[in-house]
Amino acid sequence: MHSDRASLGLRIAAVAGLAFLHLPILLIFLYAFTTEERTYAFPPPGLTTQWFAVAWSRPDIWDALLLSLQVAAVATVLAMILGTLVAAAMSRARFFGREQISLLVLLPIALPGVITGIALRSAFGIMDIPFSTWTIILGHATFCIVIVYNNAVARFRRLSGGVMEASADLGANAFQTFRYVLLPNLGTALLAGGMLAFALSFDEVIVTTFTAGQQATLPIWMLEELIRPRQRPVTNVVAMVVFAATFLPILIAYYLTRNGQELAGSGK
Amino acid sequence: MTAAVEFQSVSRHFGPVKAVDSVDLTIAEGAFFAMLGPSGSGKTTCLRLISGFETPTGGAIRIFGEDVSATPPHLRNVNTVFQDYALFPHMNVRDNVAYGLMVKGMGRAARLARAEEMLALVKLDGYGDRKPAQLSGGQRQRVALARALVNEPRVLLLDEPLGALDLKLREAMQDELKALQHRLGITFIFVTHDQHEALSMADSLAVFNEGRIAQIGTPAEIYDRPATRFVADFVGSSNVLPPDLTRALGGPAQWASLRPENTRLAASGPVTGTVTALRYLGSGTRVVLDLGGTEVAALLPAGQPLPEPGAALSIAFDPAALHVMGDAA
Amino acid sequence: MSREAIFPARGPADRLTAAFWRHPRLLLGLLLTPPLLWLGVVYLGSLAALLLQSFYSIDEFSGMVVPEFTLKTYAELLRPSNYDVILRTLLMSAAVTLGCAVIAFPIAYYAARFARGRLKALFYLGVMLPLWSSYLVKVYAWKLILAKEGIITWAAESTHTSGILNAILALPVIGGNSLSTSYVGMFLVFTYVWLPYMILPMQAALERVPTSMLEASQDLGATRAQTFRTVILPLALPGVIAGSIFTFSLTMGDYIIPQIVGNSANFIGMAVYQLQGTAGNIPLAAAFAVVPILIMLVYLTLARRAGAFDAL
Repeated sequence: MHSDRASLGLRIAAVAGLAFLHLPILLIFLYAFTTEERTYAFPPPGLTTQWFAVAWSRPDIWDALLLSLQVAAVATVLAMILGTLVAAAMSRARFFGREQISLLVLLPIALPGVITGIALRSAFGIMDIPFSTWTIILGHATFCIVIVYNNAVARFRRLSGGVMEASADLGANAFQTFRYVLLPNLGTALLAGGMLAFALSFDEVIVTTFTAGQQATLPIWMLEELIRPRQRPVTNVVAMVVFAATFLPILIAYYLTRNGQELAGSGK
Repeated sequence: MTAAVEFQSVSRHFGPVKAVDSVDLTIAEGAFFAMLGPSGSGKTTCLRLISGFETPTGGAIRIFGEDVSATPPHLRNVNTVFQDYALFPHMNVRDNVAYGLMVKGMGRAARLARAEEMLALVKLDGYGDRKPAQLSGGQRQRVALARALVNEPRVLLLDEPLGALDLKLREAMQDELKALQHRLGITFIFVTHDQHEALSMADSLAVFNEGRIAQIGTPAEIYDRPATRFVADFVGSSNVLPPDLTRALGGPAQWASLRPENTRLAASGPVTGTVTALRYLGSGTRVVLDLGGTEVAALLPAGQPLPEPGAALSIAFDPAALHVMGDAA
Repeated sequence: MSREAIFPARGPADRLTAAFWRHPRLLLGLLLTPPLLWLGVVYLGSLAALLLQSFYSIDEFSGMVVPEFTLKTYAELLRPSNYDVILRTLLMSAAVTLGCAVIAFPIAYYAARFARGRLKALFYLGVMLPLWSSYLVKVYAWKLILAKEGIITWAAESTHTSGILNAILALPVIGGNSLSTSYVGMFLVFTYVWLPYMILPMQAALERVPTSMLEASQDLGATRAQTFRTVILPLALPGVIAGSIFTFSLTMGDYIIPQIVGNSANFIGMAVYQLQGTAGNIPLAAAFAVVPILIMLVYLTLARRAGAFDAL
């Protein structure tokens, strides 16, 4: 068909757009090896791997990394449990308040992060809850629920209701149906949701600045470096590590849900 | 002998909608029973009431004499062949068939051996390792059948079992289901909207209309002696005659039905009308007459001379062929 | 096997299943209680606390929060300095949304209409990865790019186009000392960071345009340009609106990018952050935070009317 070839202009614009999305990230990798300490000079005057060693021996970076991992792990587990429960309830017959519940799940991500942040902070203030690792987790789990929910609900929708009835018809009780039919079909979607929730939590900074108190997660550590640069080369290395730490879960999630379109439009 | 399934004024209302309304029904053990009706007539809801996926809002259901009002689907010794088959997509065919035995705690070797036997019974030996997605529609249906029968249920429910198959496969499957039921002696209850399927397969059937049973009987009874105008019209498209026409044709002043194949054309008679349509059917021709506002069809065997459209004619029939019905709609 | 019509319950699991079957609401309630407790108590409770605080005021002498109902704090939003912040934020959000739509369209259109098989997967992944990868790292990358000694200055010098760059920076209002301290720089970073959120819904909307409809348009004698203008654009619009929900809302609430790039002019997000932090004026911070909520509510209502939710 004659119209099935893109015009040259369209192809150039599409490729240029994709390049615009990716080139800045590649630059991070280059800067991690620069010998220049004080400025962001381009091209780098020389290349070195010494900053990796410097970053490795920094206890403050390790502390921030451990806190981030800890928060992301606990928040992901909580979000996976809560998100799956909502998705399971929504997959059942219509009930009163259904629309409201789906809006409630979506709200923490639909409203700007600064609002979730200050809302949580003022609630902690009113109730005299001191800032701790748990206040960070509380915030992260809240906006991660929707990520797991979106993945799970899409899979529930594809899984025809008939197979659950078929399982009961053949003599399985609710727990056997969950173990032998539901879980195997839901597994990869849940795992993908968990991966994305982990990546989101590991990287989150806006809500965290309101709920962290004196503690620093890795993104908070980076934010301080961004506002008041002190060790630019070390920051370059950390940026690369953070990028890699979120890149892998996303890639895994993509391969887990390749056949569906569950990732699309799930919103961050 | 206790009945396999018994409905005692069973109702299932969804708010104002009476999907099933005060139905009484007795299905004998070992029967091949059909529930026939148009969509929305309540036949599928009745099937789901037996399997337990719907609960009655009134009345009682007994399976082999036991009240099942407190028994969830998984504890009923009843299995279903679902309309869309509902095979487990993540399991191979053998594991699908063995599923019911697994959840009841049978050992792995024993249940897989039973599954193979069952696959052989439905002529699918050698397909055990395939995934449902790799099978054709007809093969999937056989798997669904094997998966239900491996549990040796006392009642097998089939929801529109042949609906998704093409014509040739459907006819072969009709014979096969009949043979299988005969061999296993299990009570089969199937739901269909196709009157030919119900008449040819079942040894007794119930015709559903608007949540109620219009008539129960053997295929011959239902075909020859429809109890209501609805049954006459739905099963085999009989001529339905209003009381005044019945009387004009020599019967009592009541609603009556007359099969087109029992109706002949006559040059003159008590009532004359005009030929409005002719439809060639291969084995014969269907001639439609307008008799004083009522359409009456006559089936002419092949080879007979055909009237011209617009010709003035009357009808004749053997008085025994006129079936007088009650007042019921 | 067994010839009974009903199997006995084998244990508590069977009995619990029977209870779920008899009372379908029981299972539903069990499933919904934990998440509703979490979201209802933690999240809605917090939002309610925020809303409540916005109706309090601050005592000008002691700096303490006065917990009495008043609309005084909202009136403060209308002061010229605060009003400017809101207007500036809205203008930037609108500009970023427009910029994203223009850059996103060719990518979305190509991916939806022409890319097949592996190329399509590549496009999808090429949008998904930047969308999900670290926000801060992306902002950081742009700090490197926009720096006075950074790659853009270097590229302009190497291609002898420094004049153009300087001309842009010399523009009133949107220019500045360097890209990293100008509105142009801030616009670039915002556009970059939120671009994937525009591409995905746009692509989803375009994929729903049946090829037969385009053929019909051409069959009826429309030129390519006419087909594009009269068929493709109107059908892509719900996707653009859906994407704009993200780009608009995200720009409006962001307080990190204006802090790192730009001329330290205030934006709503920054105002919220600073007021609750250093200034300790929680009521005014809360009132500021209510502004984007209201704007998004209006925006979402309009978007729903335009049918944009189907493209999400």
